[in-house]
Amino acid sequence: MSRDTLIVRVAQILLGITLLGLWELAAVTKWPDPVLAKSPGQTWSFLVKSASSGQLWSNTRATMTAVLIAWVLAGVAGVVAGVALGLMPRVERVLTPYLDSANAMPRIALAPLFIVALGINTSAKVALASTLVFFIVLSGARAGVRSTDAEWLRLSIVLGARKPQLFVKVLLPVATPAIFASLRLGLIYSLLGVVGSELISARSGLGQLIAYYSSTFRMEAVYGILLLLAVIAVVLNQVMGLLERRLLRWQPPADR
Amino acid sequence: MTMTSPTRSNLEEHAQTLTSDTNDAIRINNVSVAYGSDGRSSRPVLSGVNLTIRKGEFTALVGRSGCGKTTLLNAVAGLVDPTEGSVTVMGEPPRLARRHLGFMLARDALLPWRNALRNVEYGLELRGVSKAERRQTALHWLGAVQLLHAQHLWPWQLSQGMRQRVALARTWALNPDVLLMDEPFAALDMNTRQSVQQKFLELWQSEEHRSVIFVTHDLGEAIALADRIVLIGDGRVLEDVTVGIERPRDLEFVSANRRYQEIYHQLRAQIG
Repeated sequence: MSRDTLIVRVAQILLGITLLGLWELAAVTKWPDPVLAKSPGQTWSFLVKSASSGQLWSNTRATMTAVLIAWVLAGVAGVVAGVALGLMPRVERVLTPYLDSANAMPRIALAPLFIVALGINTSAKVALASTLVFFIVLSGARAGVRSTDAEWLRLSIVLGARKPQLFVKVLLPVATPAIFASLRLGLIYSLLGVVGSELISARSGLGQLIAYYSSTFRMEAVYGILLLLAVIAVVLNQVMGLLERRLLRWQPPADR
Repeated sequence: MTMTSPTRSNLEEHAQTLTSDTNDAIRINNVSVAYGSDGRSSRPVLSGVNLTIRKGEFTALVGRSGCGKTTLLNAVAGLVDPTEGSVTVMGEPPRLARRHLGFMLARDALLPWRNALRNVEYGLELRGVSKAERRQTALHWLGAVQLLHAQHLWPWQLSQGMRQRVALARTWALNPDVLLMDEPFAALDMNTRQSVQQKFLELWQSEEHRSVIFVTHDLGEAIALADRIVLIGDGRVLEDVTVGIERPRDLEFVSANRRYQEIYHQLRAQIG
């Protein structure tokens, strides 16, 4: 570890301790409100209890299952649609106003619709999360395909490349970094969509637990689950980052 | 250019192909190109160009930017269809003759997700050469440009000169009969440029049979490298000059040659 990294790590740990201290201080002084003021210790003991009862595990699994299903389905659909639109500018021009307005819609407003249509189950969560992931990956894949250098195509054609070869050997590799970046972002948005849907109505999942505990004023439980969600988001992001570095070794470090 | 309805010009063309000298690598017959934008026909980029390039001949196309020299090269590569006239490469229409072609551009156009070795293999891969064979060929040509040690490096890890040498190896790996080169050394700094040019000349001189069309706006480079200089202006052939400097040439001293000076002064005014 270089000296710079060491300094950064130490500063990060100190900042974390300070934040925990401030949280503890707020809990002790009952600020801003006795209902909200729960200490880190209370939060921790909730997490321990909930984990040992199996409640935390089963709800995390329910949430993450929906997150991954939505991410994979909408990710694949988004890549296919994005690459297709990137290669067919005329079709894209026809569809643009529809895609833009669909993407501009506050997606959480669709949750009640999906719940009515699909029921209070995993499908409704997956549907909502998919509407977020799809558009993110679509625009990433489209931008990726567009970033193809005309000289690469010109060279490949003269050297004898046929259409399918141009696609596999030039267009897809060109688009990979942008597709990857959008999949990474899409994973976080998938979590957002699933938890959002669960908050509105669900039988299980971390979002549903937050809704339940906040309605019964168990704020230490709410804080615990929020912390857990933050940890999940960070882990997902790190895993994607690792994969990305592995797959995109060919990029100069400044572009990674 | 279809043979289903034999019009008069098609028949003539066909007869020409049959009677053409088998020593010709490229025949450009009365070629005109006009880029029409939105259906409106614009000023022609090339009008009535005739040019025959023999096997093993090194021809430089020179002219001001926008004179049509790159369009002519693109027509030979089958990237642009002539509005009138025809082009044949090794007796075939350009699109069917791509197995004969090698291609180099001002920017090396190395694919950034392939290391040096796999970039050299690229053309062979497109042509369906087996993995073992293309690896062997690629290693041979990387060796010929002194880059065996860099075979596993990514393009961003190579200097400009190294990248263009990888591009040379990629071109030679295809064993092309015709080399199409579009300002291939224009992006290099002066010192790198001369060493890459020298390398290129050595590779080309070591085998007699490859024809070259070399597009450049640098008259000095054209005289130093080529057998023949074709000056293009306003979409026409303005001058066609035989260089006649003996080979092998050493690029460091070629500009002192009397013939170099003569051609330089003859053509310089027209390039401007």
